[in-house]
This record gives sequence, structure tokens and C-alpha cells, in this order.
Amino acid sequence: MQEATTPLKLGQKVPDFDLEIYDPVKDDFGKFRLQDQIAGKRWTVLFFYPADFTFV
Amino acid sequence: MDCDIVTISEDTKFVHLAWRKGEKELANVRYPMGADPTGKVAKMFGVYDENTGLALRGTFIISPDGTLFNSEVNFYNLGRNIDELMRKFKANLYMAKKSNEVCPSKWKDEGDKTLVNPGAKMVGKVHEALKG
Repeated sequence: MQEATTPLKLGQKVPDFDLEIYDPVKDDFGKFRLQDQIAGKRWTVLFFYPADFTFV
Repeated sequence: MDCDIVTISEDTKFVHLAWRKGEKELANVRYPMGADPTGKVAKMFGVYDENTGLALRGTFIISPDGTLFNSEVNFYNLGRNIDELMRKFKANLYMAKKSNEVCPSKWKDEGDKTLVNPGAKMVGKVHEALKG
């Protein structure tokens, strides 16, 4: 896992990363990996928000 | 929509589960909820707020080859407009198919006016190109 020292800019390749997830469809925990998205030729939208239990 | 959405906050997956199950407003949420308690992913995208340990409202579109195509960051107190996110996503899909076209600001969906082969001949003639 590469840690970027400066934030990514548009047009740059996003370094591979993974995240632990809660998957509401499976009602189970799992992992999201960017490399799986690239292997599956899928577009990805990352949607950051400040915190659970707030008023998004 | 032909993409995968992942929501991300600095909470753990356990809190995500508890929130999803406890808040009725989230009953229809089907997106995987990413846990970034160390802030490593938020830092990568420049949305980690060191003062609070929280992530700002950032939205990022990544193409199938892993290139960052769009970024939008709002401060805590401003919600995002999903119509604009959809517009940008549709435009990215369209331009991926038609690499010689660009989508102007008023472009909303396939069939709307684009600029084709922008180049030397179009310099100073964008008004005519948009009308034509």
C-alpha cells in the first residue's frame, strides 16, 4: 500500500488501495480493492463524507 | 448506472453496520460502505481534515484503467448535488466512447450538443460551433 505524500491530481493514475467495507446487500464485511475494479474494467465513484450518525 | 459507488468515512465497518441498520433513512442504501479509520485513503485524495480527523465531502470518479477523472470537494456544511455528479459521470462515459468530442458546460446527456474535433479552426469560433 503506497501512501501518497501529496494529494492526487486529475489525470494521474490512482495508486492501488484497499478498504474494509460493510456490504449492506450481503449484510457482511468484506474488502474493496481498486485493483479489482481495474481488472473488471469498472468505473468507480468514491463518495467521502465526514462521519456516520451525522446528517449527510 | 454503469459504475460502482463506494461511500467512505473515517468510521469503522462496525459503525457502518450499526448506522445502516439503525437509521431508517438508510434502509435503501446498497452501496458498500468503506472504512478508513486511519485516514490513509482520505489523505491520498486530499480530503482528510487533520484538525477533526474527519473526511471532507469529496467525490472522485476513477476510470476503468485507474485514472482520476473528476474531483469535487465540498466543506462540511454543503451537500452535494447528485444531478451534477450524474452529469459528470455520463459525460465521462460519453467522452470515453467519443474521444474527439468534448462536453460543454450545458451538456446534460447523450444527444446534447458537443464540440467535435476542437482545434485550430475552432479558436475564436466557439459561439458558431455551439450554434451550428
